[in-house]
Amino acid sequence: MSNTIENEDIFQSHFLAEKTTDEPLIRVMALHALAYCERLFYLEEVEEIRVADANVYAGRRLHEELDKGSKKYTLELASQELGIRGKVDYVRTDAGELIIYEHKKGRSNKGNQAWPSDHLQTTAYGLLVSEHFNRPVKELRIRYHADNKTIIIPFDLDKAKEEVLNAVKKARGLRSSLGRPQVSVPEKLCRACSLAPVCLPEEERFVEEEKEKPLRLFPAEDEKRVIHLLEQGAAIHKDGYQFVISLPDGNKKSIPGANVASFVLHGNIQISTQAIHFCAANDIGIHWLSYGGHYVGALQKGAGYVQRRHRQYETFHDPLFKILLVAKLCRAKVENQLKYILRATRAKRSNETQGQEALQASINSIRHEIKALARIEKSLSKTGNETITQHDKVIGEMRGHEGRAGREYFKALTCILNLPEDNFLYFNGRNRRPPRDPFNALLSFGYALLYKDCVAAIQAVGLDPCFGFFHTPRSSAYPLALDLMELFRVILWDMPLIASVNRNQWRKQDFEITGQQVWLNKEGRRKAISLYENRKREKWKHPVLKYSLSYSRTIELEVRLLEKEWTGQPGLFARLRVR
Amino acid sequence: MSADKHWHLVCYDIRDQKRWAKVFKILKGVGEHLQYSIFRVRMNKTQLEKLRWQLSEIIDEEDDLMIVRLCPACAKRVIDSRDEEKWSESAPSFEIF
Repeated sequence: MSNTIENEDIFQSHFLAEKTTDEPLIRVMALHALAYCERLFYLEEVEEIRVADANVYAGRRLHEELDKGSKKYTLELASQELGIRGKVDYVRTDAGELIIYEHKKGRSNKGNQAWPSDHLQTTAYGLLVSEHFNRPVKELRIRYHADNKTIIIPFDLDKAKEEVLNAVKKARGLRSSLGRPQVSVPEKLCRACSLAPVCLPEEERFVEEEKEKPLRLFPAEDEKRVIHLLEQGAAIHKDGYQFVISLPDGNKKSIPGANVASFVLHGNIQISTQAIHFCAANDIGIHWLSYGGHYVGALQKGAGYVQRRHRQYETFHDPLFKILLVAKLCRAKVENQLKYILRATRAKRSNETQGQEALQASINSIRHEIKALARIEKSLSKTGNETITQHDKVIGEMRGHEGRAGREYFKALTCILNLPEDNFLYFNGRNRRPPRDPFNALLSFGYALLYKDCVAAIQAVGLDPCFGFFHTPRSSAYPLALDLMELFRVILWDMPLIASVNRNQWRKQDFEITGQQVWLNKEGRRKAISLYENRKREKWKHPVLKYSLSYSRTIELEVRLLEKEWTGQPGLFARLRVR
Repeated sequence: MSADKHWHLVCYDIRDQKRWAKVFKILKGVGEHLQYSIFRVRMNKTQLEKLRWQLSEIIDEEDDLMIVRLCPACAKRVIDSRDEEKWSESAPSFEIF
C-alpha cells in the first residue's frame, strides 16, 4: 500500500481542482486559523497580513526536522467538492487502513484532548485523503511534541463532512465581506497569537471595558536600524543576504540584511536593482530625499491592501467622519503646542523677565483657539450627519484656528529660545521653501525626516498615504502623511531641537548660507539626523494606553489607532499629549 | 512577541561544500563572521527561531549546528583577539554614512 501512496501523482488532483473551481479553494491551515479566531482568519486570509512569530518558525522547523531521514508521504491535495486544499503531513497504513498524522509543536489540551482548531484541521485532512484514495480513513492522530502526547481520534466520515463544510461556509462568508470581524475570543488566545501586534486586541478591550491599562502586545522598540546615506556618490549593493555599502573613498562596509529597517538616501546615492528587489521582498524601506532634504519618494511594493484601502476611501468620503477626525487632530496638535510652551517657560513665567508679556499674550491666544476648537467639536457631536451642510466651511474654520494657534506658538518659541538678535540661530517666525535662517533650516530638515517616518508608518499599516482628511492634496506631498505629522511635530522635533540649541550644539559652520537661502551642510545634517534618530529611540509612557514604548513605534501605533477609527473601535486616535 | 535580544554564537560543521555555502550565505545575512565556522548574531527569540528554521531546511543529519546564547554578563567577559567591536549590549538604532 505504501508503494501506491508514494507513486501517486500528488499534484494532479491539486492543480485540476485549482483550475476548474470558480471560487478559490480555502487552505486547510486557514480553517485552523478560523477555528482559532475569525478575526485572525480575516486578517491572514482576506487582508493577507501575515506575521510570523517564534512559534510559527519553530513549527516550520519541526516539520523540516521530522522529514529528515524518515520516509515521508506528504500529500498535497485539493477537493473541489469540499472547497479546500492542503498539505497532509503524514499518511500511514496500518493493516490496510489509512491513518492521518499531524504533528504539532505545542502541548495538547489538558493532556488528553486535541485543541478544536487542530481537530478541525486534521479532520479536513482526513476528508481530503479519503476522497483522494476513495477509501475510508480509520483514524486521525495528532502528536503534540511539547508534552509528547498523541491524541487518537476515530474518523467518522459523515460527521467530519458536516464539520468541515460548515467551516468552509463560514470562511467563504468572511472572505466575501469587507468588514473586519470584531475581536471576540478570550484574552488568552490573543496572547499566543502572532498577529497581536497588528490586530491590537488589547487596545480594543481597553476602550470597551475601560480597563486600567491594556496588556501590551505591541512591540516597544524597533528591532532593526535605519541607515542614512549622506556621502554623495556612495552606493548600496547586495551580496547574498547582506548589503555592501561602498563609499567614494573606496571603503566598504557590509551590513547583514536582517539588521536593516530602512535606507534613507540623501541626494546622489546609488542603489542596485538587486538591492531594491531584496528590500521589497524583505519589507525594508527605501526613502529617497533630495540633497537639500526634500522628500522625493519611497519604495512601494506591488498591489495589495485592497480591503484596507477600500475602507479608508469609503470612510474619508463621509464628511461627518472627516470633520470629526479633523477636530481631534487639531485639538491634539494645538494642545501639544500649548503644553510644550507651558512646560518650557514654567520657570520664566514665575519671575519677572523680559518678554514675559508677549509670551503670556501668545499663551492666552492659543488657549482661546483651543476653546474655539472645543466648541466646534462639541457642536459636531451634537448634530447629526444631515444637519451639517457646510462641511468645507467647518473644516476651514478649524484650519483657521489651528493656523492662528500655530503662529502664536512660533512667536512663543522665540521667547523660549531667548537668543539675542545677533545670534545666528535667532528665530523670528517660521518661513520655508526655502528657509531663510538657520533655525528655520533646522525646522524644515527635521520635519522632512519626520515626514519620511510618517510615510513609512502608513505604508507599513497598508493605508493609502494619498488620501487624507485634513490637508488638501498638493502634488508632491502625501496628505495623510502630513495629517499624521501634525501629531508629532512638537514631540519629535521641536522639543529635541530646542533642547539642542540650549545646549549650544550648533555652530555657524553647520550651515550653508547662500544669499536668502540657508541649508544644512553635511556636518549639520549629520548632527540633525543623530538628534532626530536618538529622539525616536527614546521611550515614553503613552498617556492613554499607559504602557511605555519608543517614539518610533508610537508613530506606527498611531496609524493603527487611526485605522481603528473606522474598523470597529474608535476613540484612541490623536489622544497622545506632551506631558 | 519580540523579547529581549541577546548575543548568540553560531557554530557549525557542514560536511558538504554546497550546503556549507548556503549556510554561510544565510549567516552573513544575520550576523558577523568571527572565525572559521563561527558567527555571532544578536537576536531575539523570533529571529533565532527563524534562523533555525532557515538552517534546518538546508542542513543534513550528518551536519552539526550549535547555538550558544550568551547572557549580557557573559558577553561582556568575551575575550576577542580582534577586539574590533565590543560585545556591547545595545546596537545602534541608526547609522549614518
